[in-house]
Amino acid sequence: MKKLSLLLLVLLVLAIAVGCAPAAPTTTGSTEEAATQPPPVVETVVVTQEVVVTPTAGPSEEAVIEGVEEGAEISFWTFWLSPTFDDYIKGTIARFEATYPGVKVNWEDHQATYLDDYRNAIAAGQQPDVANLSNGEGWVTEFATQGVLMPLDDKVSQEVKDMYFPGLWKVSNVDGVNYQFPWYAAVATELINTQLYTGTPSTDANGNVTYTGGAGLKVEDFPKTVDGLPGLCKTIKDKTGTLCDIRLTVNDLPAQMIYEGGVQFINEDGTAFTFNSPEGAAWLQMYVGMVKDGTVDKTALLTDQDRVALDLFTSGKAPFFQTGPQLIREVRANNPGLYGYLAVVPAPVGASGATPPTAMGISVAADTKFPNASLALAQFFTNPRSQLEFAKVVSIYPSTPASFDDPFFSAKPVAIEDSAKPIAKDIISKQTELKPTIPHFKDVNEILLAAVQDALFNNVPAQQALDDAVAKANELLP
Amino acid sequence: MTRRLALTPYLFLAPSLLVIITFVVFPIIAVVYYSFTDYNIVNPPVWVGLENYARLFKDEVFWQALTHSFIYLLVTPTLIILGIVLAIVVNRKLPGINMFRALYYIPVISGSIAVSIAWRLLLDTNGLLNSLLLSIGVVKEGVQWLAEPSLTLGIAMLLTTWMGLGYYMMIFLAGLQNIPEELYDAALIDGCNAFQKHLNVTIPGLRPQITFVAVISSLAAIEVFTEVFILTGGIGGILNSGVTMVFYLWKQAFKLQHYGMASAIAMVLLVITLIFSIFNIRFLERGTEAT
Repeated sequence: MKKLSLLLLVLLVLAIAVGCAPAAPTTTGSTEEAATQPPPVVETVVVTQEVVVTPTAGPSEEAVIEGVEEGAEISFWTFWLSPTFDDYIKGTIARFEATYPGVKVNWEDHQATYLDDYRNAIAAGQQPDVANLSNGEGWVTEFATQGVLMPLDDKVSQEVKDMYFPGLWKVSNVDGVNYQFPWYAAVATELINTQLYTGTPSTDANGNVTYTGGAGLKVEDFPKTVDGLPGLCKTIKDKTGTLCDIRLTVNDLPAQMIYEGGVQFINEDGTAFTFNSPEGAAWLQMYVGMVKDGTVDKTALLTDQDRVALDLFTSGKAPFFQTGPQLIREVRANNPGLYGYLAVVPAPVGASGATPPTAMGISVAADTKFPNASLALAQFFTNPRSQLEFAKVVSIYPSTPASFDDPFFSAKPVAIEDSAKPIAKDIISKQTELKPTIPHFKDVNEILLAAVQDALFNNVPAQQALDDAVAKANELLP
Repeated sequence: MTRRLALTPYLFLAPSLLVIITFVVFPIIAVVYYSFTDYNIVNPPVWVGLENYARLFKDEVFWQALTHSFIYLLVTPTLIILGIVLAIVVNRKLPGINMFRALYYIPVISGSIAVSIAWRLLLDTNGLLNSLLLSIGVVKEGVQWLAEPSLTLGIAMLLTTWMGLGYYMMIFLAGLQNIPEELYDAALIDGCNAFQKHLNVTIPGLRPQITFVAVISSLAAIEVFTEVFILTGGIGGILNSGVTMVFYLWKQAFKLQHYGMASAIAMVLLVITLIFSIFNIRFLERGTEAT
């Protein structure tokens, strides 16, 4: 037994000794393998090589602003573009930072409270260097008048100015000076609910198409001028019982008077208001007639929230609605059943014969620490390439004629959202700013709104309502 | 040692005082100052003395707003009466009564904006109410409820009442459950009918709750904004038919950028609210003493 235990112990010790021993070099490897074994290191040699590195990117066609401050960090606010367009915005910022190396952009998107946020930021000394401001809503004019935006005419070259449609470069001018780079524009169109406007089509055995349940109207006969709307609304009301979804732009009634009514709002030297002219009274009387006939939805007529009127149309309860094709996505998202019955025609023009510019703008803070970097960003986002890329993401129209040279715009429209693409350049090129600088704009608009309501709902004759309004508005003038 | 003891309470109070000074006292002082200035928030305020107040007292819309705010106070007695009635109704040991209590409370926790939007959809020309009226032949075409100047304020008040009823009902319900049952038994023995029982026992027993509801609901009514804003699409109703004090304040500040004028309205509102509060607190103290 002792011998057996001793034998086992010896075997165990041998096993441990073998297990812990280093592996022996193989003797079965090929000669090639042996040849690839690295030679023993005898000496380390450090090779130093001089490489020339360019500190900035190569010249880019998009770098059109000179003197951009090295190490600039600028803030940029957009209006209601996130999260839908995050990829586009972030991608464009990345391209900008590559085009102007050393500049950093801090982007923020503000939504429903944008305007209040912007005002508060100014009051707190935190105005963003670059901000997306709406021309159509009068924001550029408001802040330019208050002296917090940078005048651009003498800050950029003629070459840069020529990138934009001339009518859009001049939009929102204050005393003849421009304060914004025109950004994406909209084209005013009428969306038609053909179920109500024409009727639901059905085909009989002989292939004849008949329409039922609608007003029996033809889309191609939609009025070309605003004065055709009262008759149209009456026909639709009589045949379908449906009310027209027409809006008075309560935040900018002067513009509507000027474009639709062909009204001269204030005299040439800005010393007296003149919107109580016969043209003004006729314009107001047109709406009075529609209200008296009961052919318009009064809630939509006088709301200051676009959504009220848009929701009415989207719900399928309105025969037509004036908006841009970009909002067709709202109909598609919220009422797919209606989307298939949509038709699009150009919006009717008013007595002025012109259509107002509807472009968004990008403005620069007057006292930014980095004026050139801020100008560069504002210009970069509005340059032809950036806007073309944006147009490919959503149905907007660039304010830069060169963007329209892309086949994207000349291609035959497939979806209804694209129906305005081939004619957009022509429409935008004709958009003209007719509205003059109106002193005390918000107060005057408020006076006019009260007069319009008096005429529409208080039985005050249109002419008298406007005469009273002009008298009140003139008191505001020096 | 004495000095340290004297400082100690102030050190404990300091954080709260700092918050109150920053967020209550300073804004009030600022509003008082702004009410004497022409201020658009973007540019520095310009001193104009009493001009804002002079303009305000000559402003027809301001008086209209003030009148509407006082009319709005009618929701207070409505809420008290309906709240007590509802509390009496649900103060019974019936199967499923808790479900009814919860249902009445749902509008309170739903959020005023959501509720206002729901009401707007309900009262829309193509809304549920018109569909119902058309289907039973009461009207021949949809009524534009929210575009009728004579109805705007009434609809907003109805909405406020509907939204707040559940909350006030719960307060009265808690009060009812504190009234001793023996008092009702004594009333029955004395020959009271059901109505007299509530008139002589319930109402006096609920006096502290009634006073409390009167205070908070009247202050809420004076400061109403959301319902008017949503129901009128942000314009305050056709011909200013729904404009209240706070709505007018908002309009002057955030639509017209007349922050000086808005501050003057805020000062008038402050005085009215202060008078209300003093009146209510006195009444409350007297009510508490009486009970």
